[in-house]
Amino acid sequence: MDRQQEFVLRTLEERDIRFVRLWFTDVLGYLKSVAIAPAELEGAFSEGIGFDGSAIEGFARVYESDMVIKPDPGTFQVLPWENDGGQHYSARMFCEINMPDGSPSWADPRHVLRRALSRAAEAGFTCYVHPEIEFYLLKNLPSDGTPPEPADSGGYFDQSSHDAAPHFRRNAIETLESMGISVEFSHHEGAPGQQEIDLRYADALTMADNIMTFRYVVKEVALTQGVRASFMPKPFTQHPGSAMHTHFSLFEGDRNAFHDPSDPYELSATGKAFVAGVLRHAREITAVTNQWVNSYKRLVVGGEAPTTVCWGHANRSALVRVPMYSPGRSSSRRVEIRSLDSACNPYLAFAAVLGAGLTGVQKGYELAEPAGDDVWSLTEIERRAMGYDTLPQNLTEALGVMEHSELVAEILGEHVFDFFLRNKRAEWDAYRRNVTPYELATYLPVL
Amino acid sequence: MRLDRAVAQRRDGRSLARLGLTEPWAAATLATLGWWDGDRPVREAEAVMWALARSPDPNLALRTMERLAESCGPAWPELDAALRSDGGLRGRLIALLGSSTALGDHLVVHPDRWRSLASDRALTPARLPDLERRTAVLLAAVGADPGALPSGSPGGARAGLAPAEAIVALRQGYRDALLEIAAADLATVGEPDLPVLPIEQVAAQLSDLACAALRAALAVAVRQVLPEGDGEPPVRFAVIAMGKCGGTELNYVSDVDVIFVAEPADATTTKLATALMRVAGEACFPVDANLRPEGRQGALVRTLDSHVGYYRRWARTWEFQALLKARPVAGDPKLGAAYVDAVNPMVWNAADRDDFVAEVRAMRRRVEEHVRPDHTDRELKLGRGGLRDVEFAVQLLQLVHGRTDPDIRSGTTLEALAALGDGGYVGRDDAANLAASYRFLRLLEHRLQLERLRRTHLLPHESDTAALRWLARAAKMRPDGRRDAVGVLLAEWRDNARRVRRLHEKLFYRPLLETVSKIAGADLRMTDKSASRRLAALGWASPEGALGHLRALTGGVSRAAAIQRTLLPVLLDQLADTPDPDRGLLAYRRVSEALAHTPWYLRLLRDEGSVAQRLMAVLGTSALVPDLLVRAPEVLRLLADTGAGSELATRDPAEVSASLRAAVGRHGDPTAAVVAARSLRRHELLRVACADLLGLLSPPEVCAALSEVWSAVLRSALDAVLRARAASGPVSARLAVIGMGRLGGAELGYGSDADVLFVCEPVEGAGEHDAVRWSTSVAEQVRGLLSAPSPDPPLEVDADLRPEGRSGPLVRTLDSYRAYYAQWSEVWEAQALLRARPLAGDPGLAARFVQLIDPVRYPLGGLSQPTVTEIRRIKARVDAERLPRGADRATHTKLGHGGLADVEWTVQLLQLQHAGDVPELRTTSTLDGLREAHQAGLLDAGDADALAAGWTMATRARNAVTLVRGKPADQLPRSGRELAGVARAMGYPPGGDPGEFVDEYRRVTRRARAVVERVFYGSAP
Repeated sequence: MDRQQEFVLRTLEERDIRFVRLWFTDVLGYLKSVAIAPAELEGAFSEGIGFDGSAIEGFARVYESDMVIKPDPGTFQVLPWENDGGQHYSARMFCEINMPDGSPSWADPRHVLRRALSRAAEAGFTCYVHPEIEFYLLKNLPSDGTPPEPADSGGYFDQSSHDAAPHFRRNAIETLESMGISVEFSHHEGAPGQQEIDLRYADALTMADNIMTFRYVVKEVALTQGVRASFMPKPFTQHPGSAMHTHFSLFEGDRNAFHDPSDPYELSATGKAFVAGVLRHAREITAVTNQWVNSYKRLVVGGEAPTTVCWGHANRSALVRVPMYSPGRSSSRRVEIRSLDSACNPYLAFAAVLGAGLTGVQKGYELAEPAGDDVWSLTEIERRAMGYDTLPQNLTEALGVMEHSELVAEILGEHVFDFFLRNKRAEWDAYRRNVTPYELATYLPVL
Repeated sequence: MRLDRAVAQRRDGRSLARLGLTEPWAAATLATLGWWDGDRPVREAEAVMWALARSPDPNLALRTMERLAESCGPAWPELDAALRSDGGLRGRLIALLGSSTALGDHLVVHPDRWRSLASDRALTPARLPDLERRTAVLLAAVGADPGALPSGSPGGARAGLAPAEAIVALRQGYRDALLEIAAADLATVGEPDLPVLPIEQVAAQLSDLACAALRAALAVAVRQVLPEGDGEPPVRFAVIAMGKCGGTELNYVSDVDVIFVAEPADATTTKLATALMRVAGEACFPVDANLRPEGRQGALVRTLDSHVGYYRRWARTWEFQALLKARPVAGDPKLGAAYVDAVNPMVWNAADRDDFVAEVRAMRRRVEEHVRPDHTDRELKLGRGGLRDVEFAVQLLQLVHGRTDPDIRSGTTLEALAALGDGGYVGRDDAANLAASYRFLRLLEHRLQLERLRRTHLLPHESDTAALRWLARAAKMRPDGRRDAVGVLLAEWRDNARRVRRLHEKLFYRPLLETVSKIAGADLRMTDKSASRRLAALGWASPEGALGHLRALTGGVSRAAAIQRTLLPVLLDQLADTPDPDRGLLAYRRVSEALAHTPWYLRLLRDEGSVAQRLMAVLGTSALVPDLLVRAPEVLRLLADTGAGSELATRDPAEVSASLRAAVGRHGDPTAAVVAARSLRRHELLRVACADLLGLLSPPEVCAALSEVWSAVLRSALDAVLRARAASGPVSARLAVIGMGRLGGAELGYGSDADVLFVCEPVEGAGEHDAVRWSTSVAEQVRGLLSAPSPDPPLEVDADLRPEGRSGPLVRTLDSYRAYYAQWSEVWEAQALLRARPLAGDPGLAARFVQLIDPVRYPLGGLSQPTVTEIRRIKARVDAERLPRGADRATHTKLGHGGLADVEWTVQLLQLQHAGDVPELRTTSTLDGLREAHQAGLLDAGDADALAAGWTMATRARNAVTLVRGKPADQLPRSGRELAGVARAMGYPPGGDPGEFVDEYRRVTRRARAVVERVFYGSAP
């Protein structure tokens, strides 16, 4: 029994916690939970808890489905929900998924990210991540295909008192902070009902856990306010989608490996090669960073989302942005990847971006010139003339590129790679069969 | 002219070069010093010259001496005179100057310090200062009152000097003392008559010096941090030494590990600790406090209660291992003693912790992983057999057994080792030998560190002769007549490294054997319980079972038991590294029992260490090998040599086949002949299995060898039956056996069946009907003989690929085949014929058969489009339907994606399409087919490589699964020891995640599958 395990057991005792939720994430990024009584936890630490892996998307096939979840005591957190007596009654831990012999399951997205991080560690790097998570607050979540109704009609940075959910942001942030997730920044986004909350940077694995927690907390808090939260990448045709712009930095020990004060952008050779890696492999990893059919409705010209593979400095239309707002603060030098959306699987998406960037570092890719123009304003032919690649325009194109990517296979591991392709192909097929309101509106009257 | 003079000088025996003074300036310098006159030493300075010659680096010694003389100025004559008259000074000073540039520089800056090396004052084995004396000297240096209470206790000593000056003074005092210790250590190198200061005492002196320095640094810190006077709050502060300093076995240059205890633990005492670390760090050595509770993240200073609370609740196993060496060295003595009293009992209960075994193993692996691969041979400290390993092994045994035995709890490695020997936990001789090796390694470490006072543990590279010569001389190695000093050093180093490398065997395993075998003479033994505990700690899942096997192997007074007792410690060490040590030990017991009466068996294992080692690797991995081995023990001898040209690795399959047929040919009776053939096959199968597991054969070599031996057995069996028939009655037909499938392609695995066709032809005067009947009975007899029950892997002859399959006749005439193929043949039959290759029987008939089928399998002009589509459809159906229930398409070697069938069908389709026009494509081998298809421009290089890689991976994996499980299987195991075994058999390192192997398997086969989809199925890229 190690120290953290004892800490967890003692806390359960002292705070009279009745349920322990064991959390893990399936390959598609859905949060899964098993609740156990505190008395079972000691056994769970030493031997894990067996479960049927075939019931979870992407884990195992029916006849060989025994798997074991093992809680990671370092992720222990009392959940802020209270019972009638004002007492906290449950806690959660993230889990590792193991095979019956104790070796890690290669189907576990957390293991995918762990492997990516250990590859970085072998090269001497730790990876820090800082996401800006956008989402919508809605009055309802209709499942019959009718458009939802935003919870408010505010605009960018509006400090308005809304009819619905006046205390939402405050409550959400307080709840996150009480769970040890630091919020750096939050504001109302451009569209009605759209919010943005930025989390304070953390190492990539912790941050992926935090994002899973974040989505859960935000949805729960919204419910208490009588509204609904959605991380769907693009719920409204007429409003911008929900991005998860994510800042990455690599550290060598205490030193920010992306920082070089002598460079005009204060971006080191390592940082440049990282960006070059992300750009060169951008098309390959898009299916992972933007994994849903709906994700590609966000990545369109004219929205505030990247569509071309290029980088820029203050250029908000670029796929990668190297922000410059903290001159001389070496520890904050980072690069912002703007394609990710709020509904990605953060474990896989971080692993993919990190893997692409690290490949650039290890192979010493050259970084092309930054895109100075607003690339949205260029014509298609101009873009091509300037040598900018276009990001995949829909899920099937992204899958086609990914399928031929040895890099993504390497990053995800063959098991997840194979499952992901099959599952997403099926998703595309299911989508393709549908006649959309757009088609009806456009064709029915005229054809 | 110059040459002549050099020769003359050498002859007279006194040239400077012969004294090792090879630099051109040597003569002039010596003349200035007044020690050399023209071509010989000045008379009274002869002894000085000899001492110079003995110095590890005479040139360095001379150069530094010159600087020293210069720095002495007018005082030089006094030193010069002392050198000529005082042998002790001479030995110490000159050896020191030739050993350490750093300490030489110290002397040059402080020339009067030579006096402390003169015989009337110098430190010698008979005159060693104690800790109190050392403390007094260094306290005085920083202006503290040596008579006061210890600093860190209320009213304790305070430095008189301000920190900056105190640091300078302390540095001086520390270096002076270091100089004295090093001089005493080296004295005997300069003057062989001087007494030797044993390494333990050097280490103890260095530890004392470090303690004294910590005390003086604390006095400085107290002055800096604690206000003086009556109003001072009572502060108690103690420094606990850990690591080498705690164990009283410090080396010259090392971090000193400490832990701080204070009452109260507040900002003031934290400042005290920080100041102490800074002062000691600047003046003497880095102080490392990272062994404290919670390491780097933890509070620097804790109260005693907080320490105890931490260790009681949170500490991990390795922390107790570190605490084993804890010793209070500075500060408040009562507080220090209370700390050790409180912590000690917990150390000795650490072995009862649940995670003890796992943590200890992980720790050992971490230590070994630490070494850079290019340094493994030269590392004195880390790596297998290094100093750290000895220390670690000793501590581990202390933790395992020290709980019940207080006598083995010393924090000093050499003392603990001796105590373990005295207590019977380690053989007494082993303990003594290991101690000697440990001393030797420490000596080299000390010498290397002295040179520049740098922390190094790396022996010079073997090509760096100058550095090696210096080290050899500093370590007092002398040429032994055959080798020079460097040669002697390297030989000793290798001997010691070898000895220490067998450390685990000696420390961990040999005592186990003494426990189970209860032999007379070993009066000191561990109990069974201790032995069990130890086996579990070393990785046996069922230690009681293992003890039972050990008992069975070594019980009794037979010679075999005695040999087993000496062998098993080595074998156990090797088994512990295999995927399944429990099964390996059981297999070894079975083999040993089966071969109990084979006289050379144990002798071979005893005399050929590598045989034993390889045998353990094989037994701990494969379930197929033990069964074969008990019935083909002679193969063990082959394990002795695994070199490039060894029989194990390179036996020519054709030769095997020839000798097999010759041997079998001597038997008249078919049954006896088949028994003989079987036995030779068993031998060959085992040889191939062993060579494969040891990584000596490539997959094609394995396939070729397995196929050839099968063919030879088949040929011999057919020959024997035909001979018997010819002797007993009329022969009515010629008969030939055609190999099909994997046998035809010479691609058999360990578990493959042999696919064949039988073809016959009536002899002159015989009717077709008789010929077929006679041939059928011959074929039936051959099959019957081969498939007779036996403990060996079966020899099933499968003729299902014949026309009309199982419902068709077993044997057909050539004409019948011709008629069949002309009329009925389906495309899958043509495809099957691609692998047809004559194996046995009448060669003329076989050749006519090949002639007959060539147009069928290599159709001129290739295949029509509908036929191609037909083949694709059949394959698609096979893909969908043939995979057994429960199999995983991703990891099924035969029918899975990118597996054997995928690649083979692709090659075969290309052959059917093009071999009619491209004769090079006409091969039964998959890999040859791929190569030729690429040559012919039908496949690009990348595709051919991807297919070959997939096929090779699947073939290897399938063989590995069969080797590990002991029976044929096509599906990779999903997890557990079997999967770990397969990964090991595939050459993956021990202890890794077998998921790595599965991921690699899936990657390679995925690439192959992508090519199959494109090339075979014709899908768009």
